[in-house]
Amino acid sequence: MIGQPIPRLEDRRFVTGNGQYTDDLRVEGQVHAAFLRSPHAHAALRSIDVSAAREAPGVIAVLVGQDYLDDGFQGVDHVPNPIDAIDATKKAFLTSSTGEIFNQLHVPLPIDRVRYVGEAIAMVIADTALAARNATEMIEVDYDVLGAVVNAADAMQEGAPRLWAGAAHNLCFQTQIGDRNEARRIIADAPFVLTREFHHSRVVNCQMEPRAAIGMFDAESGAYTLISGSQGAVRQKLCLAAALKVPPSQVRVVCPDTGGGFGPRSFIYVEQLAVVWAARRIGRPVKWTSDRSEAFLSDYQGRDQIVRATFGFSRDGRILAIDNEWIGNVGAHTVSYVPMSNGTRIMTTVYDVPLAAVHISAVMTNTVPTAPYRGAGRPEATHVIERMLDLAAAELGLDRAEIRRRNLIAHEKLPYRSPMGLTYDSGEFARNMARALELAQWDGFEARRAASRANGMLRGIGLANYVESPVGAPRERIELTVLPEGRIDIVSGTQSTGQGHETTFAQVIAQHLGVPIASIALRTGDTAFVSVGGGSHSDRSMRLGGMLLVDTAAQIVMLGKRVAAELFDVAPEHVSFANGVFSDAASSREIGLFEVAAHVARDGLPGERAKRTLYAEAEVNTRVPAHPTGAAVCELEVDPDTGVVKLVNYTSVDDVGQPINPLIVEGQVHGGLAQGIGQALSETCYVDRETGQVLSGSYMDYGMPRAGVIPRLNLELTEDPTHGNPLRVKGGGESGITPATATIFNALADALSEYGTDELAMPATPKVVWEFIHRDA
Amino acid sequence: MAEIQLRVNGEDVTREVPDETLLVEFLRETLRLTGTHVGCDTSQCGACTVHLDGVSVKSCTVLAAQASGGAVTTVAGLRKDENAPLHPVQDAFVQCHGLQCGFCTPGMIMSSSFYLRQEPSLDEESICHALEGNICRCTGYVNIIEAVRHAAHAMYPSLGDATTEDATR
Repeated sequence: MIGQPIPRLEDRRFVTGNGQYTDDLRVEGQVHAAFLRSPHAHAALRSIDVSAAREAPGVIAVLVGQDYLDDGFQGVDHVPNPIDAIDATKKAFLTSSTGEIFNQLHVPLPIDRVRYVGEAIAMVIADTALAARNATEMIEVDYDVLGAVVNAADAMQEGAPRLWAGAAHNLCFQTQIGDRNEARRIIADAPFVLTREFHHSRVVNCQMEPRAAIGMFDAESGAYTLISGSQGAVRQKLCLAAALKVPPSQVRVVCPDTGGGFGPRSFIYVEQLAVVWAARRIGRPVKWTSDRSEAFLSDYQGRDQIVRATFGFSRDGRILAIDNEWIGNVGAHTVSYVPMSNGTRIMTTVYDVPLAAVHISAVMTNTVPTAPYRGAGRPEATHVIERMLDLAAAELGLDRAEIRRRNLIAHEKLPYRSPMGLTYDSGEFARNMARALELAQWDGFEARRAASRANGMLRGIGLANYVESPVGAPRERIELTVLPEGRIDIVSGTQSTGQGHETTFAQVIAQHLGVPIASIALRTGDTAFVSVGGGSHSDRSMRLGGMLLVDTAAQIVMLGKRVAAELFDVAPEHVSFANGVFSDAASSREIGLFEVAAHVARDGLPGERAKRTLYAEAEVNTRVPAHPTGAAVCELEVDPDTGVVKLVNYTSVDDVGQPINPLIVEGQVHGGLAQGIGQALSETCYVDRETGQVLSGSYMDYGMPRAGVIPRLNLELTEDPTHGNPLRVKGGGESGITPATATIFNALADALSEYGTDELAMPATPKVVWEFIHRDA
Repeated sequence: MAEIQLRVNGEDVTREVPDETLLVEFLRETLRLTGTHVGCDTSQCGACTVHLDGVSVKSCTVLAAQASGGAVTTVAGLRKDENAPLHPVQDAFVQCHGLQCGFCTPGMIMSSSFYLRQEPSLDEESICHALEGNICRCTGYVNIIEAVRHAAHAMYPSLGDATTEDATR
């Protein structure tokens, strides 16, 4: 069952239109919310006059931030500083040269100042969504427009507009990891030094389901309920409870089907808090559904990281030391520092770099807050080192594959501890690269380049190796119940946003308990029965959840053996278990798992007669490291007359560990790859540098990948087993995206080498490419 | 207010709704056919695609009043009833893992089934052209394109064995 590419069990409801997303739900007595959003990137709020809106037809209430504070609540603590990648008892960032690590509580509606275009200012609640929306236009706001800064490097400059009193120079923190002095000393003596700046463009999450939320309040019990799609209900519950100053037991979060996650939906949004608060205020359930235009202005965004890289090389192309400057654009609120912690930890990727140092600045700007977006720092880190290797190869006259071979971590060095402290226990780095080159017919490329040239096209090929650092929330929980009627109930803390847990979790249990997959049901996403768990991000669900599934299944088998032993009147060690049946070889007696559950329901467990459920639970709260790795090759053609880039072939060799369901894993690679191609070639959130106005606010002007985005694909899964978890899971969710911009930009640079070697802007749209080619003309 | 008479998934319905009601709102809010989704507000994403008088339309671009008198099929009406087997396109999306989060899926299925109303071209370019108006964030479209081919072979035996097409991937 494990390893089989079976179609997903959850699909039937989705293909028949029976999925249940938040906006599909209707709660008795619900009313509707709409938000007035800021047209300015930075402005003081002199006054907000809601009197006309309050009188508008159908309007029940108009609320502003001061109302929220007057009710005695506090802003959301997003806990932006993540848990350390290695030691789960510590934070990722411990010190800052600015003093403390800034963390501004996020009041759902701002009190005195707006800090990005689209920030919600006031909330209208009305009988219908249309009435609520119409009334937002009757709110009079007196703005004192302030200077805005949207670029992180600009925001650090002396005299830049400042967002928060608590963040001098707009810095949330600034910290040094690794020995910069020593790195600089080595680089100063290095025979060849390369410096280059990389801008990882800002992308919009664009999950297909617009965010939605329904808030409810029960006045009798004082309990809040939020129904809202997300990447993890438990975190949302804890954040809400803290903001509303109630014990977590007073908050229930229900997460129905969720239409895509990709990172940003791990965090709570102000609208989710606002609807539960408003429900309490007005005594009725309050529903809000974002439209796509709002999503472009208010969904947490991805990337927007600048890396100034300095590498010292030996003459034969070995990296001697790295000294990077990493500047992360946090946006207007302190939501997450994850991209910086992930990106800097994995900075040396699969290469045996003796010394690496990075100086990190987390910077606030007048933009939508950023959050982890698929890969979250690893694609950026991979892009930097892979581009630097290509540039060095060109300067040193080395083959691009050869310079990598010289730097790759040798398999015999495993377990290998990177300069950033990550320990890789497995990974055939050289073999993966060799296989990718072979599949991509790297050696025959020059003939294809010549053929393209004969047709007036510029052909390029690029290569990138990658490794990931699956981290994320360390705490996870599985509860497993075998029911006498022939069903198995799994409650998992983590939940799917499209990854197919109902199938893969069932595959693991079907294998370990020898029961039909159809007998297994997975329940997730409701804190009424989910107590602990972290949600889907950082390749964590099967890595942690799978380990706990195996653990609980083993416990069930142990319990079952005790029951069977009692029934067979033998010692438990004489009972064996296979294919869902307990048996005693000596007496040839057998009993099925579900019959055992029936016995337990009737008579209880041996020695524990009060326990009448065949049940097991397991929890983890520590780091379970595993490092997905692989190599990718991209071949493309550029039309010099139009600047259009056409990918012609893409190869990816991915070690995701043991694939539980290869069909699903390959789907993850496809999806990640499409997002990577999108970032490389078409997607970016264009924000005007002077005014902070968003210029790409819809699918009409945001370069969303369409059908055909992925070219002919050579995809191969491989495995060098990890010993870090019993299912040998490494993770597949980020394998497609991690090397994508690196391979594409290496291929582009290869195609365009005769026109210069400076860095193309990301995304490399036809305009960017055309201007690169024609800039001297 | 406008009186809307429609045949929706084989059933006649008559409702009075505000003039400005979009067909997608009529389906979702008035009839509670929530399988048809709203993924954007600029008619780009195609999550709301349905068939109106046998033609694929984005139901966010049609007023309910404009559709009145016509016949609408949504993703929930592709099968005769809930006990009937899946429509070949629905089945192909399952078999080919043509969906992940499932949000764009109803629109993808309606656009695909419209494309497959007659024997189609199965080259990549033709299929991509047919799906140009539908956006997916999860799948990279690879398995959606595969699902269209798979369904075509199930619906048109004259096209031969589906596995020969798969070799191009």
